[in-house]
Amino acid sequence: MAMHSLADNPAPASNGHEALPPNDTAPTLVTPIDLLPSSSAYSSLPLPPDPPPPPRRSSPRPGLEGLGLRRRGGWGRQAARMLTKFETKSNRVKGLSFHPRRPWILASLHSGVIQMWDYRMGTLLDRFDEHDGPVRGVHFHATQPLFVSGGDDYKIKVWNYKTHRCLFTLHGHLDYIRTVQFHHEYPWIVSASDDQTIRIWNWQSRTCVAVLTGHNHYVMCASFHPKEDLVVSASLDQTVRVWDIGALRKKTVSPADDILRLTQMNTDLFGGVDAVVKYVLEGHDRGVNWASFHPSLPLIVSGADDRQVKLWRMNDTKAWEVDTLRGHMNNVSCVMFHAKQDIIVSNSEDKSIRIWDATKRTGIQTFRREHDRFWILAAHPEMNLLAAGHDSGMIVFKLERERPAFCVSGDTVFYVKDRFLRFYEYSTQKEVQVAPIRRPGSVSLNQSPRTLSYSPTENAVLICSDADGGSYELYIVPKDSAGRSDYLQEAKKGAGGSAVFVARNRFAVLEKSSNQVLVRNLKNEIVKKSPLPIATDAIYYAGTGNLLCKAEDRVAIFDLQQRLVLGELQTPAVKYVVWSTDMESVALLSKHAVVIASKKLVHRCTLHETIRVKSGAWDENGVFIYTTLNHMKYCLPNGDSGIIKTLDVPIYITRVVGNNIFCLDRDGKNKLIAVDASEYIFKLALLRKRYDHVMSMIKNSQLCGQAVISYLQQKGFPEVALHFVKDEKTRFNLALESGNIQIAVASAKEIDDKDHWYRLGIEALRQGNVGIVEYAYQRTKNFERLAFLYLITGYLDKVGFMCKIAGQNNNLMGQFHNALYLGDAKKRVEILENAGQLPLAYVTAVTHGLTEIAARIAAELGENVPALPEGKSHSLLIPPAPLTACGDWPLLRVMRGIFEGGLDATGRAELEEDDEAAGADWGDEDLDIVDASEVVENGGDGFVDVEEGEPNEEDGEEGGWDLEDLELPPETETPKASGNARSAVFVAPTPGIPVSQIWTQRSSLAGEHAAAGNFDTAMRLLSRQLGIKNFAPLKPLFLDLHMGSHTYLRALAAAPVISVAVEKGWSESASPNVRGPPALVFSFSQLEDRLKAAYKATTEGKFPEALRQFQSILHTIPIIVVDSRREVDEVKELIEIVREYVLGLKMELKRKELKDDVTRQQELAAYFTNCKLQRVHMRLVLASAMALCFKQRNYATAAHFARMLLENSPQEAQARKARQVMQACQDKEDSHQLNYDFRNPFVVCGATYVPIYRGQKGDVSCPYCGSRFVPSIEGQLCTICELATVGADASGLLCSPTQLR
Amino acid sequence: MASPDHLFGLRNSFYIGAYHAAITSSQSVPAHALLSPDDLLDRDAILYRSYIAIGSHQLVIGEIGPSAATPLQAIKLLALYLSGDAGNRESAVSRLRELLSDAATGSNPILRLMAGTIFMHERDYAEALKHTHSGGNMELLALNVQIYLQMHRADHAEKQLRVMQKLDEDHTLTQLANAWVDLVMGGCKIQEAYLIFQDLSEKYPTTCTILNGKALCSMHMGNFEDAEGLLLESLNKDAKDAETLANLTVCSLNLGKPATRYLNQLKLACPEHTLVKRMSSADDSFDRACQAMA
Repeated sequence: MAMHSLADNPAPASNGHEALPPNDTAPTLVTPIDLLPSSSAYSSLPLPPDPPPPPRRSSPRPGLEGLGLRRRGGWGRQAARMLTKFETKSNRVKGLSFHPRRPWILASLHSGVIQMWDYRMGTLLDRFDEHDGPVRGVHFHATQPLFVSGGDDYKIKVWNYKTHRCLFTLHGHLDYIRTVQFHHEYPWIVSASDDQTIRIWNWQSRTCVAVLTGHNHYVMCASFHPKEDLVVSASLDQTVRVWDIGALRKKTVSPADDILRLTQMNTDLFGGVDAVVKYVLEGHDRGVNWASFHPSLPLIVSGADDRQVKLWRMNDTKAWEVDTLRGHMNNVSCVMFHAKQDIIVSNSEDKSIRIWDATKRTGIQTFRREHDRFWILAAHPEMNLLAAGHDSGMIVFKLERERPAFCVSGDTVFYVKDRFLRFYEYSTQKEVQVAPIRRPGSVSLNQSPRTLSYSPTENAVLICSDADGGSYELYIVPKDSAGRSDYLQEAKKGAGGSAVFVARNRFAVLEKSSNQVLVRNLKNEIVKKSPLPIATDAIYYAGTGNLLCKAEDRVAIFDLQQRLVLGELQTPAVKYVVWSTDMESVALLSKHAVVIASKKLVHRCTLHETIRVKSGAWDENGVFIYTTLNHMKYCLPNGDSGIIKTLDVPIYITRVVGNNIFCLDRDGKNKLIAVDASEYIFKLALLRKRYDHVMSMIKNSQLCGQAVISYLQQKGFPEVALHFVKDEKTRFNLALESGNIQIAVASAKEIDDKDHWYRLGIEALRQGNVGIVEYAYQRTKNFERLAFLYLITGYLDKVGFMCKIAGQNNNLMGQFHNALYLGDAKKRVEILENAGQLPLAYVTAVTHGLTEIAARIAAELGENVPALPEGKSHSLLIPPAPLTACGDWPLLRVMRGIFEGGLDATGRAELEEDDEAAGADWGDEDLDIVDASEVVENGGDGFVDVEEGEPNEEDGEEGGWDLEDLELPPETETPKASGNARSAVFVAPTPGIPVSQIWTQRSSLAGEHAAAGNFDTAMRLLSRQLGIKNFAPLKPLFLDLHMGSHTYLRALAAAPVISVAVEKGWSESASPNVRGPPALVFSFSQLEDRLKAAYKATTEGKFPEALRQFQSILHTIPIIVVDSRREVDEVKELIEIVREYVLGLKMELKRKELKDDVTRQQELAAYFTNCKLQRVHMRLVLASAMALCFKQRNYATAAHFARMLLENSPQEAQARKARQVMQACQDKEDSHQLNYDFRNPFVVCGATYVPIYRGQKGDVSCPYCGSRFVPSIEGQLCTICELATVGADASGLLCSPTQLR
Repeated sequence: MASPDHLFGLRNSFYIGAYHAAITSSQSVPAHALLSPDDLLDRDAILYRSYIAIGSHQLVIGEIGPSAATPLQAIKLLALYLSGDAGNRESAVSRLRELLSDAATGSNPILRLMAGTIFMHERDYAEALKHTHSGGNMELLALNVQIYLQMHRADHAEKQLRVMQKLDEDHTLTQLANAWVDLVMGGCKIQEAYLIFQDLSEKYPTTCTILNGKALCSMHMGNFEDAEGLLLESLNKDAKDAETLANLTVCSLNLGKPATRYLNQLKLACPEHTLVKRMSSADDSFDRACQAMA
């Protein structure tokens, strides 16, 4: 908002570091500390220690301050590092104030200057230099573009920073002003002064509304309570006072005239009743420098020259001292409660800032500076930022890191918030609290988790923090514990700089001291140690088994297994590493740069940022989206980048899905930001040459703007830009640039000025587009060019026309030219004549042999006939006649190029192997082998030699060497021999029991035996249980069962495969090595499907097919295994159903074979109706039997079938027919005697198809399918199931293990 | 240990069944890597074994001359054994026994590995173990695991696996052997086997071996649909891969789909495959059992 007025500030903002205000006096050099050499040449002039109260007056005055430059202070070595965000170098800073919303801070200096800084960009925005002498107090207004300052010139000034003006000055104090502060609500300013008073001013009426008297020494500070009508003040009179200003507020709220107030004020002066002392807090032994309220609790903290910080408590009636914090070595200059954490921050002239635990009242941390005394502290009203002013500048810092540790895995992001591990699901946008994590044992700063690594398969989380000098904690989260916050798991802990998962169940821990990683398993046991190739200070994931090691100036990817560096890249110090989802690209984020590289760390591009890079994520198209402190930006694969949007507060991107950016904010809240991705998607499409996308985006979206056009032009896509441009001149230029002559012509017509036509002509000529060249020349009336164009294109008639035009225009020269082009000598003579150039005309005529004309001219010339040179043959300038007059030359195809071949990016051939080099290797290898064998041979020979030679005589030294060499082989063999010896002792274990054998041992189910391949036992079982004798139909089933029972595992190459038994009923919790029954390839549910198919075939009248199906069911059932008793019953039921159908269908087929025996046909049809069938089939069977009997005039039987049909809820047509039959058959007799008595219940013999009436003795049945037969069939194979022997003894179907229990 | 293993990629390709990759990469071992004679021998050994794995037995037999080093001779014997008829096999075995009995060469790890492999084919597991049980390198240990599994002694296999894990838990062979053992042990271990194959497929290019491994796990977990998808993917990679065809047959049967085409393809591609042999013997045993019942 106020940026506009500040934009013209001369401070250079470009590099984010430097800001040198102009016209500044030498002492107030504003230079960032880190740009100065540590031993800068400032003269060291020690200041006297701060004097006690009276001499304090003589402490450095404005004039002396200039000399007060000293060596730059640095942080003490032993002090912990503070998270410095920004630092300035200036004169002594006495007052500080944060802007509540913008990243600005005011610093008031001892030199009298007030500086306004942008601490985010690191630039000096403005300076206000109207105070005379040190400015000790400064404060931003909460909502208005105002700030107030108070100085040693006794003046309080109110400024408008937008207009860069001091609005007015409040006079009244009679001595130095120590602090000034706006009220958060009322138009008040409270000021504290060395005149021993505190004053409250109304800055709207510009009057003093209250004077608070009571302190009897300098008042060092005064401030409003953030909520209540209280003021706290600290004074060198060794007291802290709390003032009640409730009366003042009441007065303000009630409408009252300010003028009236002024008079009232005067009466109230030095005894006012508007503000009364509520409490006087006594306890400090020396002057108190600072006192401030707790933001929410009734607490006060004060700091004094007695080097103590005191904590006070108050209630409605009294206030008392609670505790004293000792530790500062010199006067405490400023102290305050931290707004968000339970800590107290104080600073002191002992050159330190101290952090105290407000509850335990112990020191937590000390930040020390070597040479600079601290004077002032300020806290940001909203953000987690602090600022401290010291002798040579100020620093903006924070105590705790605010980036939540997080890790994205699939659809979720795991992160830590408020000591809880949580995850957030992107698809549902739901947050779940997973488990609490450990609180750090010691109270200290920055112990919160820094990084988080997650292994999805094991649901394990690895959290690293700086606690205990760098440590990690491993949590394995049970899958069902989500949401159970009470569950606290004992984490496995360890020390290490950084730790990260490198595989599903392995994580690597960096051991900085030895520069190696320890690979650990989930039990936290060390599995492997590996030294690292570069001096690593952090490690990151880089694909399974790989680590990305980060050193000061480089990163490397290290393969832990091979111990190989797979890639290395020079980068600025990397802070965060973001891999694309396909792990092909990686973004390395450092403080001020983003480096994009491939998975082998081949550099792709680097982006530099002036302000800090915070986070990033890859979108699915390979665009990297990242955030800086105040921007969200994109980076295309080629390094093009741009801003997507501006950010108010820093965010941490976790994931990008299309236009949606998911991020975490500093409070650990997940947010979804929708952005307009069209710009970078468009640019990406261009880059990838996906012109179809480009075109559709152009058509469908509003992608306009100069930026896109210039981008397109710059990137060599003027023709694409053409589609955006409305402005004709730009359009014309782009058209020329892209060679699109048509559009250029259209634009030129619109513009219609000479220059554009001219340029069009040039381009058209370049392209050979003659028509347009002509048109352009015509429009520019460029007749010379036009005529020449006609000449060279062969349009001589047009040249003639041009000649005429030239004549009309009295353009003699042009006319002559054209005549020359035409080779028309007569014309030329005529032109010359008309121009009065008679001698020339004469010469021309003579030369061209136009004797008549020459004579005529000669006559006109009279004596002046020029003499022609003699004795010279002349060659005439006659242009050759054009062979053909042509139109355009073949045109360059300019337009197509860019839109063609957009899809060629896919699969280029992989790298060819270097055959030559490999060949060389081969050669080497061969040689080596030969060498080796030679050595062996030589060795052998030599050995013999020596043995022979030894008894004779020694060979001398060389022989001795030989000897030693030769003794080596037996030595090296010794261990091997012993290995062999061991092998002799080794007894191989006896082979174990194959799983299939276990199956058969445990089971009495035929199917399981068959699966195990034990066909004989399977058969024996079937024979015993079902009396099955004929196994031939079962063969394919047995083989399939057996085949489907084992899978094949290829282990080592060329070794036999391992066959692995497939077991039934696998579950996640099944314990290993406990064998289950085999998984059978035939299941009951399959049979049900087959039954349906068989029904269908029956309905359709495909009887052989149906029969086959039913029989196959019957054949499969013996080897079926089901799980429950209920299913056993279902199986038995199925046998019955199928049996009936098989019988019925067999009879029906038999009936169709019988052509002649109509009686038998009717009988079979009648028996078919006796089978238990589905209703739909029953109706068909009945209808067919009815028709057959009716036709054969067996009316009684037909009527019976008709009746039965009607009972079976037939369709209307069937019913009508049945009724007709009934009617026709009424009271009529059968004409044939059938062996069919429907009144007497019967079953049909499965083999002979004769009825076996109830009560008839001696029928036999099939032990398996239960079909009934006449006694004579006993001992034969059942014709229905084709498996069992009729009448055989059998124990019954056994198809479930439950039957055995 | 600290020096990088130049043959790592080559070995690894071989282990995970990327034989073509192994063959090509053996030609392009990094030029800067000065291979020691041992390394060179190792490289050739893997090269020839890769050829055997893809069925180019004759090429190996042809290329390894009589003067080649013992390990290569052993590899040649394996090629001979796998390529030929019964006579070839016998001569290969007898020649192998000769080599093994030679004290100078008998303890060569590659020779022992080949011996283990051949005796495994001979189903003489005791003899195989006699040569391999003492271990010596990861491959021999892995072979031990396999032999024990083949003998249905998962307990011993697990012990060998533990030795491997102690040596190098993250070694590809350790991982693979772990998966084998898990798969055979069954129960909840199958999931772990699946994860191992999954890890391997993420880490390295997918091969038929890995896809088959995953498919096997799926099948054993009762998920035949997934298995079919994986196996078809594998078949896409190599239409003649014997294990893929065999497992597809099994998988189709369990899905109630026709499997004969795969079976016939398998019979054509690999008439010696366990499944084919098993089926023909099952055929015989059925007939025999039938006769016995009659």
